[in-house]
Amino acid sequence: MLYIVLFFTFFSFFLYVLLGGADFGAGIIELFASPKDKETARNISYRVLGPVWEVNHIWLIILIVILWVAFPGYFNVIMIYLHLPFVLILLGITLRGVAFIFRHYDAVVDRSQVLYNWMFRISSFITPIFLGMSFGALIGGEIIITEDYAGYSFFEIFIDPWLNYFTLLVGLFYATLCAFMASTLLIGETQGEARKMFSRKSANYTLLLVIIGLILVAYGYFTEVEFILDFITNPVSIGAIVLSAILLIPLWKSIRKQNRIWSRWLAGIQVVLVLFAAIYAHFPYIIITSEKELSLLEGVAPDEVISNLAIMLIIGGAVILPGLFHLMRSFNMIKILEKEKEEMKP
Amino acid sequence: MENVDFARLQMAFTLGFHIIFACIGMVMPFFMVVSHKKWLNTRNPLYLELTKAWQKGVAIFFVTGAVSGTALSFELGMLWPEFMKHAGPIIGMPFSLEGAAFFVEAIALGFYLYGWDKLPEKFHWFTGIIIGLSGVASGILVVSANGWMNAPSGFDYINGEFTNIDPVQAFLNPAWFTQALHMTLAAFVATSFAVAGVHAYQIYKGRRIELHKKAFKIAIVFGAVAAILQPISGDLSAKDIAKRQPVKLAAMEAHYETQKGAPLFIGGIVNEKEKEVNYKIEIPGALSFLAFGDFDAEVKGLNAFPQDELPPVAIVHYAFQIMVGLGTLLMLSGLFYFLSTRKKHWQSKKKYWLFFTFLAPLGFIALEAGWVVTEVGRQPWIIHKIMRTKDAVTPMPGMEFSFYMYVLVYVTLAITVTWLMRRQIKVLNASKY
Ligand code: HDD
Ligand code: HEM
Ligand code: HEM
Repeated sequence: MLYIVLFFTFFSFFLYVLLGGADFGAGIIELFASPKDKETARNISYRVLGPVWEVNHIWLIILIVILWVAFPGYFNVIMIYLHLPFVLILLGITLRGVAFIFRHYDAVVDRSQVLYNWMFRISSFITPIFLGMSFGALIGGEIIITEDYAGYSFFEIFIDPWLNYFTLLVGLFYATLCAFMASTLLIGETQGEARKMFSRKSANYTLLLVIIGLILVAYGYFTEVEFILDFITNPVSIGAIVLSAILLIPLWKSIRKQNRIWSRWLAGIQVVLVLFAAIYAHFPYIIITSEKELSLLEGVAPDEVISNLAIMLIIGGAVILPGLFHLMRSFNMIKILEKEKEEMKP
Repeated sequence: MENVDFARLQMAFTLGFHIIFACIGMVMPFFMVVSHKKWLNTRNPLYLELTKAWQKGVAIFFVTGAVSGTALSFELGMLWPEFMKHAGPIIGMPFSLEGAAFFVEAIALGFYLYGWDKLPEKFHWFTGIIIGLSGVASGILVVSANGWMNAPSGFDYINGEFTNIDPVQAFLNPAWFTQALHMTLAAFVATSFAVAGVHAYQIYKGRRIELHKKAFKIAIVFGAVAAILQPISGDLSAKDIAKRQPVKLAAMEAHYETQKGAPLFIGGIVNEKEKEVNYKIEIPGALSFLAFGDFDAEVKGLNAFPQDELPPVAIVHYAFQIMVGLGTLLMLSGLFYFLSTRKKHWQSKKKYWLFFTFLAPLGFIALEAGWVVTEVGRQPWIIHKIMRTKDAVTPMPGMEFSFYMYVLVYVTLAITVTWLMRRQIKVLNASKY
């Protein structure tokens, strides 16, 4: 039963990283695009992501619920020591969500659109950075777990662990990953000029991603971040990374050819490979503190709870996945030939 | 004030905010599908227009509900890590089911909003029903988790350890049914009167009367039925509390002395130091009757409990008075509405519409007051008789800043959403058919 729960934990984690990430990415692309491209990106992201963007973010809620039900000890540590970045993430999610809906559902289209647009773009960029930083903090080895709160300063316990160069790099890496996924996804949803634009962006973001990834590993190596050291000495992780590097070649080819199906699959596989590589080397010790490594399974909930949760997840999955699949199929397949004007009114 | 007080304020504030959007997100879809059905049946374009206008409302409220809810699921852990560490696994079942309900709701919403002219008509309409049903289901599920905090069950508590956990029993705790019933009704009362009030105001102002009358009627029928049932369900809750949390009952009634044939106080100013209630109206024996169905039953007073286990009496008492007072008013208004369907000429009076405009916020005020009764009445416990609130709070200092930030963000959001709704209505009024 524990394996079922673990499966769903990582399933929702990966899906959030991928789908939620693509969602953030659409905003990031908009932020860094030229004014003309901004307009295209805006309309396309509404049409493609609109029906599913809400669903994408529920994976985060599912993940949180699984963590607190099944891994309360682990959840407890995250919630105490990463309080501040989570406040920022929540702020980002809130502003982003409302900006998205406001800009598309405001009955009057006027100057306030400018505000909604910038709110949406900036929070799309900031939120994944903080998400990445939180993850970076968990593996960065700077968290101090203590009962003696008076013995340390506020900064040492609640700020330093998540605000340092390493976590910033992880944050940037994730934000770039988001932009990469979104542009690759959107290639398949567009035609003509817009498609060229996304192909170009996708290629650029891939390059940027590889560069930041290398800097991240190099930085981790030289400052002896344990997670990185273990990661680059673990044969399976290395294998996964090498595989994903090799896959870059067909990915680039398919992006150049604007092949929607292949570029999407390849991009998805690559991201999963990288994540897998990162987590595999350390599983189940996914919190690394200054003192010790904390296992996900430390303080795992009792068997009855785990079995109950597993059953709920299976039932939930059986209800949800077909519906979700149907939703994506219904709307992703709809061709984009309708006029812009049509798209503006729901 | 201490850290824990700010954490409590923040929890109260964010929950009080979320509940408004959650209720609207639960109930508006029902209005929408009724109007949609009428459009399918009559092909009267006014109904189509109304459905589309309400659909935008649903979308805006859904998202605001969803983001504030996402914040809440983090907050439970961020503010009350000790609570979640122990309670999380026990009350996981309603929350994991709720996750499924959200999914279903979001998927159905995706179909509904983007499905116009793309999906078969009947199926499209049906996805609207699913939005409503799954919304109500998620409401019931979270309330069951709250019920568990009031009536913890499904585990053994030995030497500070929670053992023998039975998630199903925790889910079906003794409080869940009365609370979920009362809450679901409350959502209907509050949302329906609010929506009806908004449209009543438009009629009062003489704008697009035909359209707004249709809208008013759909909303008020839901509201009136629920408002008539609400006091019955409230009475069930009170009887339940009398057994389950007698301190809370005593605080609700500001009832200090244990006595047989206890009187019910209406109004009154509570003096917590002197332990007395001044300027009240007393109805002899009524409290005993309400709590136990027997005019002579003994009702325990606040003085009979350990003094460090008393909730803040005044707040709970006032909140309870507000809820019951408004509940009675809304029930009478519901009856009045049904009467007015017989006396058509009442509806041509401007005063009639002004009256319903005035009722618009009252349901929500009652609802917030009711939650204050439940939550403040449970203090000092976060888990009744098991864990104290102050032992559950996060060790991180500086909660006041977090609280101020949330207030700032949520107040801004609330203002923006209100402004957006006004724009929707303006556009609705301006469009010509
Ligand atoms: C529109 C809103 C509304 C209205 C008109 C009423 N209530 Fe209520 N009440 C609520 C909205 C509410 C609530 C906000 O939904 C609560 C908070 C927790 C809950 O389950 O429901 C609640 C709680 C609540 C409780 C405490 C339950 C607990 O702590 O477990 C009692 C005893 C009552 N109510 C009783 C009444 C009575 C006797 C009413 C008679 C008119 C009444 N309520 C009208
Ligand atoms: C949405 C409607 C709700 C409202 C308006 C509400 C209101 C409040 C208020 C006023 C407090 C502060 C009490 C005090 O400290 O004096 C509070 C505390 C709290 N509530 Fe609720 N509540 C709601 C629903 C829930 C639900 C469904 C849950 C749990 C599943 C919950 C969990 C908590 C927790 C954990 C606290 C903090 C601990 C405490 O103060 O006891 N609440 N809430
Ligand atoms: C009595 C209290 C509550 C009720 C009745 C309630 C009900 C609802 C409803 C109906 C929704 C759907 C949103 C919509 O349609 O607008 C919702 C959203 C949400 N609620 Fe609450 N809720 C309550 C308290 C809580 C608490 C305490 C939590 C945190 C643990 C929570 C977490 C969420 C989350 C995460 C969402 C977003 C789901 C989504 O993305 O659709 N809610 N709530």
